[in-house]
Amino acid sequence: MVISHRQANAQRIAALDERAEALHLKRGMGIADARAMHPSIDIVEADPEADRRLLESLADWCDRYTPLVAIDATDGLFLDVTGCTHLFGGERSMLDDILSRFFHQGFDVRAGLAATPGAAWAAARFASDCIVPGGEEEALLAPLPLAALRIEPEIRASLESVGLRTAGAVMAAPRAPLARRFGVSLLLRLDQALGRLDEAVSPRLPVAPLSVERHLAEPIMLTDEIERLVKMLATTLKADLERRGEGARRLALLLFRVDGAVSRIAVGTSRPLREPLLIQKLFHERLAALEQDIDAGYGFDLVRLSVLSAAAFDMQQADLAGETRDDGADIALFADRIRARLGESAVLKPVAVDSHLPERAVAMLPFAEAPQRISPPKKPGKIQDTSSKPVFRPERPIRLFRSPEPIEVPATEMPEGPPMNFRWRRALYRVARAEGPERIAPEWWREAPGQEDAPTRDYFRIEDSDGRRYWLYRQGLYGASQAAPRWFMHGVFA
Amino acid sequence: MTPLDSSGALWNPREHNRNNCEWKLTVMATSAVARETVFALRRQIAKIEGTLPERLEVPAGAAPVDADVTPQDLTIVRRGLAVAPPDAFLRTGAEGLDTALSGGLPKAALSEIHGAATRDAGAVAGFTLSLVSLILKQWPRLPVLWIGTAEVFREAGFPYARGLHALFGIEPERLLFSEAPRLLDALWTAEEAARMTVLAAVILEIRGSPQRLDLTATRRLHTRAQSAGRPVFLLRQAGEPEPTAAPVRLVLSAAPSAPRETIAGPLAGSIGRPAFTVSIGKSRTALPGQFTLEWNPDERSFEERRAGQERAKNPVPVVSAPRRGKDPAAAAGAVLAFAAVGSPALGDQPSPSERATHRRPRRAG
Repeated sequence: MVISHRQANAQRIAALDERAEALHLKRGMGIADARAMHPSIDIVEADPEADRRLLESLADWCDRYTPLVAIDATDGLFLDVTGCTHLFGGERSMLDDILSRFFHQGFDVRAGLAATPGAAWAAARFASDCIVPGGEEEALLAPLPLAALRIEPEIRASLESVGLRTAGAVMAAPRAPLARRFGVSLLLRLDQALGRLDEAVSPRLPVAPLSVERHLAEPIMLTDEIERLVKMLATTLKADLERRGEGARRLALLLFRVDGAVSRIAVGTSRPLREPLLIQKLFHERLAALEQDIDAGYGFDLVRLSVLSAAAFDMQQADLAGETRDDGADIALFADRIRARLGESAVLKPVAVDSHLPERAVAMLPFAEAPQRISPPKKPGKIQDTSSKPVFRPERPIRLFRSPEPIEVPATEMPEGPPMNFRWRRALYRVARAEGPERIAPEWWREAPGQEDAPTRDYFRIEDSDGRRYWLYRQGLYGASQAAPRWFMHGVFA
Repeated sequence: MTPLDSSGALWNPREHNRNNCEWKLTVMATSAVARETVFALRRQIAKIEGTLPERLEVPAGAAPVDADVTPQDLTIVRRGLAVAPPDAFLRTGAEGLDTALSGGLPKAALSEIHGAATRDAGAVAGFTLSLVSLILKQWPRLPVLWIGTAEVFREAGFPYARGLHALFGIEPERLLFSEAPRLLDALWTAEEAARMTVLAAVILEIRGSPQRLDLTATRRLHTRAQSAGRPVFLLRQAGEPEPTAAPVRLVLSAAPSAPRETIAGPLAGSIGRPAFTVSIGKSRTALPGQFTLEWNPDERSFEERRAGQERAKNPVPVVSAPRRGKDPAAAAGAVLAFAAVGSPALGDQPSPSERATHRRPRRAG
């Protein structure tokens, strides 16, 4: 089996398995040559995207060992296991666990464990499955070839041309000439591998400030069991949150399937939350909504609940049943549950915007983003406000169409007047009474320069012969341009 | 009235707390004999008076059948022909409609409000919002949740907060909307919302006659509304009347509005306050009837419009009052309302402060 890829206009071998290697095929060899040597080889086109996805899913799975997982190039993973090894019974047993689990998933994995990323990288690639005790990086690296130093091929080639063929030889050489001749990056890599310089592994996912997990001897499959486990984890989490004086704003549930797939389920809350029962309720809705998408397969053997973001918690959370002192909390929780089930924008809150364009005058914001009302309603002030405003308060419909619907107007009373009848959604309406027009000009200060002005709208309140009241408008003016003005239905009145 | 319409057996003990339920059953058992006697008497009286037992008024100062029975229990026992406490109803303020519904719309219940076609959405929504506006007088700080399917919001238009504030006094902060892509999601949201006591009212709006919205689904909504003590309004645009668990169904259509009032009399050709034609499609107690109501946005109250009726409550002398007749209010007690036919009442003359001249619309043409 050979994987081919296209390089410099020729199909070349990108990767190959052990049996192909035994046939003396090599990486970088032309596919045509390989076919000529062994016509029976199986050639598959490389798919870097799929490889990437696979590596990412493996990285997700490695989350079970440490939250700090980074992807290294196209074929490696860095796991920062500082402080995690004791959870798995020490370094050796952790490494064995990783290797055996990957083996059972069908992967052929090399692993190395060392105090620095550079040394671990070298250990994994050149000294399989070994643990390098701290301080012995030099001993490990010395006999290894230059490739173990993670340096660019050009530098490697020039080092080899001067006779430095192992990492040990480079380490023994004086530093100043090396830096002058081969650049700083060589010494940087060397120092990083030996632990003289710190190298940070940047994790692919932000590290959750708090997370609790449970390893299960017997994999679980049922949603009920997951929910019960969530409640147990949330109870543990509550103590941590209380100690920090915080509540969770975003929570993630990670379900590690036995065969390596990881499901990540996130819920957001409008208010800081720490009550286990409420957290369980949120996940109940989320799990119910995702029922089809989560494939339990052979079950989940590790469940982790993480707090992705937390906020200061300063109010008492009340029970969902029964009257509570804080009505807002109940509403927020209710909205959270709806959002968990139906998506972020399932609960909308209208917010008045200062604009005279009817469709812009009210913005619909998702509940969590809408500003929470701070001051209590001030009724008397409101009345005074309206009286001090312009005396003309325009009438607005109670329902507005999201996009105005075009209507046919065969004739109007006067060129600028209301229609006599109109056709909307294939039905003819006879206009009994009309009020208007109210002219609403476009907001020219919002338009991009050079853009043509949107035509003005003349709005009419219309009552048809059956007593229904509508809000129509004429876009444009008669005679202002070549095109005749168009009519639209924009809303209905009570 | 079909047997399905009766909501007699709708109290579902499973919805209630088990202990609570047992306790209530004991109360009912001890006083069952006494209550049976009272019911039998009520039935007798109702038969003599030619009305339904539920429509009998509670005698003033009458003690409950049992001293132990709280009003809450009585509401449940009401299914067994007892009389509900008077505050269980939302009085619309329109006498004819209130009398016909024997006190108003039930507050803790599912109420259906129908529109014959989608184009009636304005009237259906307007009437419901005026009811909500009346409810908000009782719970001014609680929000209102409006749930709709994406389809109905697309076809009938999305509720416009500016208009709602101006006409019904419902502030944008008090409103929550939920748009569900599927009917099933909308129903789930409504069921969750119906049991919330921190919502003043829940409006569920759907279009057509979907199969999902059957007797079971509406019964679940109704039971939850009952236990939470909050109204749930089921708005159905272009829906067929189907058997549901709602005790009351009103069919709404728009009525031509009266012209605007000015200091110089009604302004011909103008469009005044919103008016609705309400017909009772289903009710345990009411006879079918039709009423024309006018919503007063300034007072936030309904006024009933009757054929040829002129109101005498307006003390402002009117310059020309040729149509003003005798005061009909004195005889109004026995007057039954019928559909408004002919010209709408033109004699309304609110005070100048109520309807100032500057609000006179510009007329076109």
